[in-house]
Amino acid sequence: MSQATSSNSEEISNEDRLLELAKAKPEGISNENIKQAIPNLPLEELALIINKCLKNGSLELFKTKDKLLYKYKDSSKKPAIRGADNEEKVVFKIIEEAGNKGIWIRDIRFKSNLNMTQLNKVLKSLETKKIIKAVKSVSASKKKVYMLYDLEADSSVTGGAWYQDQDFESEFVDVLSQQCCRYLRQKWEDANSMGGGPLLARNRSYATAQDVHKFISELGISKISLSVDDIESILYTVVLDNNAERIVATNGSFLYRAVNKFMQTPGIVTTTCGVCPIASRCADTGFINPKVCNYFTEWLE
Amino acid sequence: MSIQYGRVVSLILLERFGPVVEKVGTYLFQYGTVPLLYIKKHTDLPISKVKEALCILIKYRLVTFTPNRNENVANYTLQHERVLLMLRYAKYINLIKKKFGTECELIMEELLQRSYWTASELILKVIERLKKDHNKNVTILALREKIFSLLAAQYLIRLPYSMEDKPVPSLVIKETEQFSPPTIDFKQIALVQSNKAPVDSLPDQGVYWTVNFDRFHQDMRDKLIVNAFIKKFDENAGEFVRLLLQQMYIRTQPWAEVSNPVPIVEIRDLVRKQATHQHLLAFFDQYVNVLEQDSSKLIRQSGEAGGGSFQIFLKETFTQFAWETVEQIVLEKFDTKAARIFRLVKSKQYIEPDQIQQLAMIPAKEAKRLSYQLLEENFLQVQDLKKSTSNGPNKSFTLFYTNLDQIVRMTLELCYKTLFNIMTRKNHERLVHKRIIDKKQRVDTIIMGMRAQGAADEQLSDIEEMITPPEREILQKIDVIMKKLNTVELEVDETIFLLQMYLIYQ
Repeated sequence: MSQATSSNSEEISNEDRLLELAKAKPEGISNENIKQAIPNLPLEELALIINKCLKNGSLELFKTKDKLLYKYKDSSKKPAIRGADNEEKVVFKIIEEAGNKGIWIRDIRFKSNLNMTQLNKVLKSLETKKIIKAVKSVSASKKKVYMLYDLEADSSVTGGAWYQDQDFESEFVDVLSQQCCRYLRQKWEDANSMGGGPLLARNRSYATAQDVHKFISELGISKISLSVDDIESILYTVVLDNNAERIVATNGSFLYRAVNKFMQTPGIVTTTCGVCPIASRCADTGFINPKVCNYFTEWLE
Repeated sequence: MSIQYGRVVSLILLERFGPVVEKVGTYLFQYGTVPLLYIKKHTDLPISKVKEALCILIKYRLVTFTPNRNENVANYTLQHERVLLMLRYAKYINLIKKKFGTECELIMEELLQRSYWTASELILKVIERLKKDHNKNVTILALREKIFSLLAAQYLIRLPYSMEDKPVPSLVIKETEQFSPPTIDFKQIALVQSNKAPVDSLPDQGVYWTVNFDRFHQDMRDKLIVNAFIKKFDENAGEFVRLLLQQMYIRTQPWAEVSNPVPIVEIRDLVRKQATHQHLLAFFDQYVNVLEQDSSKLIRQSGEAGGGSFQIFLKETFTQFAWETVEQIVLEKFDTKAARIFRLVKSKQYIEPDQIQQLAMIPAKEAKRLSYQLLEENFLQVQDLKKSTSNGPNKSFTLFYTNLDQIVRMTLELCYKTLFNIMTRKNHERLVHKRIIDKKQRVDTIIMGMRAQGAADEQLSDIEEMITPPEREILQKIDVIMKKLNTVELEVDETIFLLQMYLIYQ
């Protein structure tokens, strides 16, 4: 803990008692609390101890309703920042506040009011000390965000399970989506073949995300472990492809079920014109016209 | 009403009535309601030709007329939807054949060919044709029953007639007369049949019947709905919907947006009486439940009394069908991922580009490419929201949304264009191979003539060999091409029908 050198052993014990007190009350201690707990402590000495604690960061000062509160702060994070200058401390604090979402260099500059070159220097020094790290965000590949070294980046920054080195793994998503769809369809077919009326068949064909998650995990197609939430978002793409429908169950979670479409493929897309990429440029005169249309010719052969 | 649409209309007129009628029809399409002399002036045709063309068009009910302010002059209007219906004739005939049999098919065919006719003459003609083509003898009485059943089902409708004697008559008809059966005198018909009495001695002279297209469209609409339910659920659910629609007619106007409530007991009784769908009867309540609870919400319960009554929401049905059709078109045109984006935008109504890539699970670049491609082809729309305080570049939002109405109209245009292309191509193929087709026709007529004269087989095969093997090959190829184009034409028409249904209900 505090390694402050002091000649007075009593002072150390007072300091320890104060810190113990602060630890016990995470919402903070006031001057009255201290007085009650350590009644025989002179005010000057208390002020001295508190100042020392504030300085080495084991206590923090808060002000609520004209009342001063001291809060204990875990100094296990501290050692890293020791020996840093004021700018580094400020920047460190800003980055620390950003948590695992990280913070963009521009925002740091605005918050800290440091100029660019100075900030760059500070960031570099913090990075070499392995106090902070830079993480590339998936939303914009050029954008780097800074966060504390030992933090795991948030999924909004790394993109979660679907990203590998900022690249969206679309094949992986496609395969998963197909498998989810297959699972739902299989379940639907099983339910139908079991008989017992349409209502029963329908109710049997519903699957929760947990069921699908289990199925996917057992398939072993994924090297990384997927969460149920990941599966939910995959299932949503199946719903968007109109291969399944999603309803809300009584407990608030979603249920999924394979469904058929109402419509067959419309007649217009069975023609070449229906899917023709240059249909808008086609007319009865000019180079693109139905008489010489290559798409037609190919299709008619 | 667009240039593309006009071109299709002209092509149909050209194909069926020749260049003069086509010219008059096209002019009427472009300029709307106009009197005779205007048509003459602008088409540069002799007045007799214009008159003749108008007569033909009026006969086929493709042009209607109303008196001008000067009551001696008529204004002519082209009924362009009717022109387009000519492509659907094959479907109407097929529908009647399935429902009423061969005799009715022939009745309908004759009527469609002549546009309108009296019942007695129609009977005479059909008897003659049945004897000739099918070697079948049908009594006048049997045919009369057939016509009456068509009338009762309202597939035929009486043509309006003029009451007063004016230079430009206005044609009217009482509602009660529309479907009331005419008097048909067997004896007189029999006399006419054996040429012992003139045609105009028939008692129902001047009572003309024509085809009630509206009734056909109701049938086609119902078939479409039932098929959709069969596809989504199963045969039994389809049967349930069919009966629901059938019962709907008893209480509701055929084109109402929402049917009046139909008691479920009625449908159950019908199913029991039919005894064709045992599975439906056994699980009747469950089927009702499943259909009612389906997320599409097309069939809803409206009351609890008497075991509950149900309504079918026709407008919503077609809105949903149109959505699905458009989605499928996007799917076919731009592939799965674009369809996913399209459906996402539809379900969220307004959505930011960032959200699209997240929810649709598509890489950022591809999502952007696809959504802007859809925007370019007008399947998606964009709404920009700008913040007034303009410090900083990143202050405006882009939201994607869709507009079904507009997409449907756009797709309809594409359908017309496709029809035009198909027909043009057909004409073109015919033109290119005109020589061979003509030759084939000549040979065919010669063979027919010789066969009638009782020529020997050897002679016939000699003449048949006038068409060389390569020519035969080409003829076969043309045959395949024409068949393909004709099928596709009908398929495109199906899409047109569905989209038009959607627009009707809007």
